[in-house]
Amino acid sequence: MAIDNRQPARHGWRFFVGSNTFLQVLVGIVGLAFWEAASRSFDLDFWISSPTAVATELVRWERSGHLWVDLRVTMTEASLGFIVGCIAGGFTGFVLGWTQRLGDILEPYIVALYSIPKIALAPLFVLWLGIGVTNKVMFAAMLVFFIVFFTTYRGVRSVDRELVQNAWLLGANRWDIWTKIAIPYSAVWMLTGLRIALPDALIGAIVGEFVASDAGVGYRIKEATAFVNTAGVFAGLFVLLLISLCLLSLLKLIENRTLRWQAGDGAIATEPGH
Amino acid sequence: MEQIRSATAAAVICRQLAISFDEVVVKFGDFHAMGPTSLDVRHGEFLAIVGPSGCGKSTLLNLVAGTLVPSSGAVAYKGNGVAGINHDVGYVTQKNYCLPWRTVEGNVRLPLEFRNVPPADAREQVRDALAMVGLLGFEKAYPKQLSGGMQQRVAIARTLAYRPSVYLMDEPFGSLDAQLRTRMHEELLKIWQETGATFVFVTHDLQEAITLADRVVVMSKRPGIPKLVVDIDLPRPRDIIDIQASPAFGAYFKTLWAALDVH
Ligand SMILES: Nc1ncnc2c1ncn2[C@@H]1O[C@H](COP(=O)(O)OP(=O)(O)OP(=O)(O)O)[C@@H](O)[C@H]1O
Ligand SMILES: [Mg+2]
Repeated sequence: MAIDNRQPARHGWRFFVGSNTFLQVLVGIVGLAFWEAASRSFDLDFWISSPTAVATELVRWERSGHLWVDLRVTMTEASLGFIVGCIAGGFTGFVLGWTQRLGDILEPYIVALYSIPKIALAPLFVLWLGIGVTNKVMFAAMLVFFIVFFTTYRGVRSVDRELVQNAWLLGANRWDIWTKIAIPYSAVWMLTGLRIALPDALIGAIVGEFVASDAGVGYRIKEATAFVNTAGVFAGLFVLLLISLCLLSLLKLIENRTLRWQAGDGAIATEPGH
Repeated sequence: MEQIRSATAAAVICRQLAISFDEVVVKFGDFHAMGPTSLDVRHGEFLAIVGPSGCGKSTLLNLVAGTLVPSSGAVAYKGNGVAGINHDVGYVTQKNYCLPWRTVEGNVRLPLEFRNVPPADAREQVRDALAMVGLLGFEKAYPKQLSGGMQQRVAIARTLAYRPSVYLMDEPFGSLDAQLRTRMHEELLKIWQETGATFVFVTHDLQEAITLADRVVVMSKRPGIPKLVVDIDLPRPRDIIDIQASPAFGAYFKTLWAALDVH
């Protein structure tokens, strides 16, 4: 939650120089400058590339027309995987969380599956689903599934039973209890799950591309590595960074709208006289 | 159980039973919480229950609401045994269960949504209920932004909104100031008068009990059993201020106070 520590002076260059945004940008610029300087003065271009080389590489990538194709491929894989994983994880988490008994019985199995280092399953997915888009979608979906499953499961289990009982008293049916009590109650958990799972969807798509593919940002990184093109690898990483930042801010937006009631702000009228 | 009966009460007796407790005992494990209690509530009656903390007043209401099953004895509601959750009653619980993610309006509308009341009617019923508890102007506020007493009024409005025929109220005005309390008493009496609904009203406040009720039940210390039942033979419709100043009121207060045995 944001804390508003309003200062009296909100304008003028002094304020600007002291503002967090300015300092953040400054740190970024200094960092880039160091990177450039280190690369040039110690001749580390091969190992760490340099901001200018990465920028050149990005421009070249865009000019070749591959950038947009690669972006589209990776984004499609990640977002489809995210959606499939969320639906499957959310549904399973909800059902197992709500039916205590079933949850108690199956939880150890899901925990066991979760403990497998999932990256190791990537080749298996190639075997099952080929080297096309499906394989990456399903791999990303699997990573997302576990996160969303666990958060939803915990969330649904935490639903206040007395609140549910009160809703029964008010005349709710089973469907009402799910949609109007249980889901909103666990929404905080579910949204946290989505936020954690979002980068995982991207990881799934990239790993899938590393293993076997012919397009996508991950493929481009792998290709650049093969050609010992450090700047190309960094360019790929930069694009990934941008993608996940965009996705996260999108999710933040959704979260803010859904959880507005938690903020407790917004003006309310004063009590009418009587 | 001692009873103090009055002539007008005889008329009520002819009416149908709304609720009846027959030798009901509630135990939590070995812990004897309440009973054996036998008590009848007639349709259209305003019954108040008073008694020391922990004597089983909320327990009685929970039995009618079906959230608690008696260890022995039987509870009947409108002629049938209570089996499972009772959707027919309007139960204002001691703790309020406002949903934090819904606005005041959304909370009050909740039971109407459950009951598939058409949106246009629902809007009107929500408005009426909020007007009754004095919360107009707070429709868009979230429970978190309200005081405890206001949250309690949201819970009351939520029950008033769907206009049940039997109300169970568990210290509903506990956290309200004196003026607001009086105003709420007037509203309740108006509802009672206009709709002929049945009220079972739990309170710690003897004055409140006498003002509102046809009959006051005093429970003994835990395990609570009805110790004294007094018919309140004060004229209706009641003017709250007048009635509290009348000599009969003072006499009832004395009798009930003695039965409560606070020392
Ligand atoms: N779920 C429960 N498990 C165990 N004991 C319980 C439970 N609910 C109530 N009790 C016990 O039963 C007794 C009666 O409780 P109840 O809530 O009916 O009291 P009350 O008369 O409503 O008191 P108050 O005026 O303080 O609200 C209490 O002594 C309480 O400790
Ligand atoms: Mg109680």
